[in-house]
Formats: sequence, C-alpha cells, structure tokens
Amino acid sequence: MKLPGKDMWLWTVPLAIALLLWEFIAGYVVRDPLLLPRFSAVIFSIYALRGVLISDILVSLLHFGIGLGLAFAAALPLAIAMGWSRSIFKAIDPIIEVLRPIPPLAWIPLAMVWFHLTHYAAGFIIFIGAFFPILLDSYTGFRDVPRVLVETGKVLGCIRDRKLIKYVAFPYALPFIATGTRVGMGVGWMCVVAAEMFGVSDSGLGYRLFQKFYFLHQMDYVVAYMLVLGLVALCLDRLFRHFVEDRLFKWKRGIVK
Amino acid sequence: MEKRTAVIGWIVAAGIIAVVVFGTGCIEEKEPAPPEMTTLNIGYQPSTHQIAAMLAHEKGWWERDLARFGIEKVTMKEFPSGPPEMHAMLSGDLDIAYVGVAPPIAAMYEGLDAKIVAGVQTQGSAIVVRPELADEYKRKGALSLKGKKIATFPPGSIQHTILSKWLLDNGIDPEKDVDIKAMGPSDAATAIGAKTVDAVFLPSPTPTIIEEEGKGVIVEWSGSMWPNHACCCLVASGRMIREHPEMLKQIIKTHINATEYEIAHPDEAAEIYAKWENANVATIKHSINATDMRWIHDPRLEIESGIEYAKVIYELNKDRYESKGIKVLEAEDIFDTRFYDEVTGKR
Repeated sequence: MKLPGKDMWLWTVPLAIALLLWEFIAGYVVRDPLLLPRFSAVIFSIYALRGVLISDILVSLLHFGIGLGLAFAAALPLAIAMGWSRSIFKAIDPIIEVLRPIPPLAWIPLAMVWFHLTHYAAGFIIFIGAFFPILLDSYTGFRDVPRVLVETGKVLGCIRDRKLIKYVAFPYALPFIATGTRVGMGVGWMCVVAAEMFGVSDSGLGYRLFQKFYFLHQMDYVVAYMLVLGLVALCLDRLFRHFVEDRLFKWKRGIVK
Repeated sequence: MEKRTAVIGWIVAAGIIAVVVFGTGCIEEKEPAPPEMTTLNIGYQPSTHQIAAMLAHEKGWWERDLARFGIEKVTMKEFPSGPPEMHAMLSGDLDIAYVGVAPPIAAMYEGLDAKIVAGVQTQGSAIVVRPELADEYKRKGALSLKGKKIATFPPGSIQHTILSKWLLDNGIDPEKDVDIKAMGPSDAATAIGAKTVDAVFLPSPTPTIIEEEGKGVIVEWSGSMWPNHACCCLVASGRMIREHPEMLKQIIKTHINATEYEIAHPDEAAEIYAKWENANVATIKHSINATDMRWIHDPRLEIESGIEYAKVIYELNKDRYESKGIKVLEAEDIFDTRFYDEVTGKR
C-alpha cells in the first residue's frame, strides 16, 4: 500500500500536472468561477469553511457508519446462508435481483416515512448502497469453497455445517468478504450526498454541499466539499487496506507478487 | 534509470503546460456576433403563482407572439424550487424564468447576469401545521412553533427568507429555536403526512392540497407574515436584455396579457394548471379562491421587498460576501424596469 519514496514521481507528477492544468484552465480559459472555480480558490474555501468542516465530516461518518454497519451485519449471515444452501439461494435470489437494481435515491421517500428525519434515514440510504456489493461478493466466497477443502474438513472432524462454515468456509471466503466490503464502502460513501439531501440533519458533507452551497450557487464551496468527499473516501479506503489487506491478509503476500 | 524517468516525467509535464499556455495565448479573441435565436427556454415551477407562464404556452401565445423574432420553439422547463432554476440560468440553460424574487438575488450575488424585468405575483404562501397542533397555534401564535420541525424551501428561496424574517420578528431564532428542514414541495407534503415534520411553509397550491387531504391545517398566510411581500417575478438573462431587447419587450407584453387573462378567468387558469400538473381541478380552484395571492405584472410592486430580501440574503452569507468584496445589492442591480415601462407607457 505504501508507495516507496523512489516511486513518488509516479503519482506526484500526474497530480501536479492535473492541479496546474485545473488552475490554469479555470483561471485563463474558462474564467468563470461558476463554471469551474480555480484550484487555489477551492483550497482557500476549504480553509474558510474550517468552522463547519470537521462537524460535517463527523456527521457524514456517523451516517456512513450506521449504513455500512447495518449492511455488513445483514449481508454476511445472508451470504453464508445463500452460499451454503442451494435451497436458500433459490428462495432468496429472485428477491435480491429485483431489489438490487433499484437506485438508492429511489428509496428516499420510504426512508423518510419509515425512519423519519433521523440519522437512521440517512444510514438506510447508505445501507442500500453498501448491502448488495457485500452480499454478492461474500456469497460468491461461500459458494465457491472447493469441495476438497470441505471433505478434508470433514475428515478432520468438522462434521456439522456450523463447524464447516466456521473452520473451512469462512476462512476461505474472507478475501471475498473483504473485497465486497471495500466495494460496498465505496458505493456507500457515494450515497452520502443523496442520503443527506432530504433534511435528515443540519450538518453533514452532503447536506451542506447540496442544501446550502449548491442552492446559493457557491460553486467554490461545492467543489471544496466534493474534494473533501473524495479525500475522506481515500482515507477510509487506505485505512481499510492497511488494517485488512496489510495486516489481516498478511499471509496472502507473495502469492502473486 | 529511475531518476532519468522522473526527469523525463517532469519535462513532459512542463511541455504540456507550455503547450496549453502558449497555445491558448495564440488564440485571437474576437467579439462574436450574437447567434441566431430560434428556441426560447422558459423556466417555471409547479405553483399556481406562475400560471401565467403555463397559460401563455397552453394558448400558444409565446410562439405566436415571438415568431416574428425568429423563435420557432418555446421550451418550458419545470423546476421543483427557485435555487435549482437559477442554477440552470447561471449555466445558460434558461433565457427567461418565472421564479421567486429571492433566488435570483442569491444568484446575482454569485455573478448571475440577469435582471428582474416584470412582476408575477405577491404573497400566496402559507404555514400548515399538523391537525393536532392547530389549536396550540391559535392560542400561542408563532411561539407555538418553538422547538418544532418546519419544512420549507432551501436557503436562498423566498419561503426560507420570509419564514426566517417572520420568526426573528416574533423573537424566535430560526437557527436555534426551530429546526428548519429544506425540502421541495412534494417532499415537504410527504413529510407532514408522515408526521416527520410539525409544519410546512409552502407556496400555493400545496398548502390547500395538504389541508384537503386532512394532513394539516393552514394557520397563517404569508400576507400576514410580511404584508404585500413580493413572491414571484419574471427574470430575463443578461443576453436577452443586451442582444434581444425587442423580443424581451414582446415577452413582457405576452406575460401582461396572460396575467390579465388569469385574473379575469381564474377558473380557466385553474383548469390549465390542473392539466399541466395532473392535479384535482376543484382543489386548485379552491386554492386560488382561498389564497391571499395577487397576480401582478408591475415590477415596481416588488422592489421594496426585493431590496429587503437582498439584505437578508447578504446577512445570511456575510462572511463569504465580505471576504470577496461583494456589496449589498441595490434596486438597480436587481431590477430593470425600462422594458416594462416602455411596454406599458409608464415612463
């Protein structure tokens, strides 16, 4: 995950080019901050918004935590059941396939009446975004457990399903669960703006971006918050990779590279 | 090897920037001739306040009156509230907009090149509380809203501005004493029906629709919150004002005709609205009769409250505007009454 110092140019050069181009195009080609604010103006905006930025990030993380936590708690047992039992898969799969394509935004009216204007309503929209990637990847992991591992487990004394899942299927599916969770985190975070659009709280990155800055046409603030949304997502992803891929799956290192 | 590749990387970067800088520098800037305009884009909202826009389109008056200016098509674009409508105007997608007076002012502070050229209506919004809270409101008035959740249009909208000022006038801090939730009309109607908010403050006909569905009781019309306050207006883009002044005069004439017609034929206006918005005709007729709204076309009737809105919006965003050296907008920054005066012979 950590980029070695000697390879720094691999990302610093494209990043510097992108930022310089942004600054130049906004300042000398577009020349309208409403269409494209300059990079320097956006950085200044982040500084100007420091009074509300931290609380907004924390509230959005609260919504994200509720949604992701519930998605993980609901998707994992269902994935185990669907992956382990063909009958359960056949019973549940049609329902999943009908619900899965419904965009999280379409759930907003129901979120409002089911959970009222609370943090849980925002969490529910994020839950919808995160649930299906976690479920499908985890299910694939449990479904694809090689028969030879199951048979070996049985020979070694794992007779019941519970023990087989715990000692054979679960360790095998862990990388799939991790991938699903990572994808789910990404999709869930993308739902934060939509989740905070309908008055569930008086702060939050999505709330302020959409309900305040956008409606008052403060485009430098809008882009500043877009940038913050991206940076928070990057931090979340890096943290996840650090704790899960670099530590939990340390044993996997060296298999490919 | 690595070092050499890094150096090459930086040289490539510098090259790209140089090409962009000098390349664009070589482009000679010419003042282009105004393009031929064949389509007129008009923004409006699903409110009885703006029936004039729908009526003129329904009767084919826009296209009939503007054909001699080369207009072949008039496109009506609907928006849930004023701020997104003004965002579309900022990005050049609207030539004319029927909109509340506050959203264009908020957009003008951020550089919108447009002016209010005619009035559309005054007053006509209402506070609706949940039925079980109506008695409390009758006893305590505005103070009964303390600690309550109120849904209205977003900051920068006319409703948000009027509600904030009225609460302040009644000793209620809109930031601390109440929980104002920013929503569009349909979200707000769903919210009060689901009891997720205690009250809503919305333009007609939504208050009447909520009341007729038994989900709320109208307790205050905006005319009593801010007498004769400006509500909707006709905004023309800077391009229309500079490049098509004669067409703009005709647009104002057509708007005046539509306004006079809706005043003379409110039932027909209600039927047109119901057809456009798939609403119940009886409810819309009742809404037009019950509301304190007045359809107008004189922009001067909106100047006083327009200036007041400009001050309120400035106060809301003072830190930002001061840091950018933006001053409070004056009447001449917001209104351009020349065209209306010429059309009506008032000058």
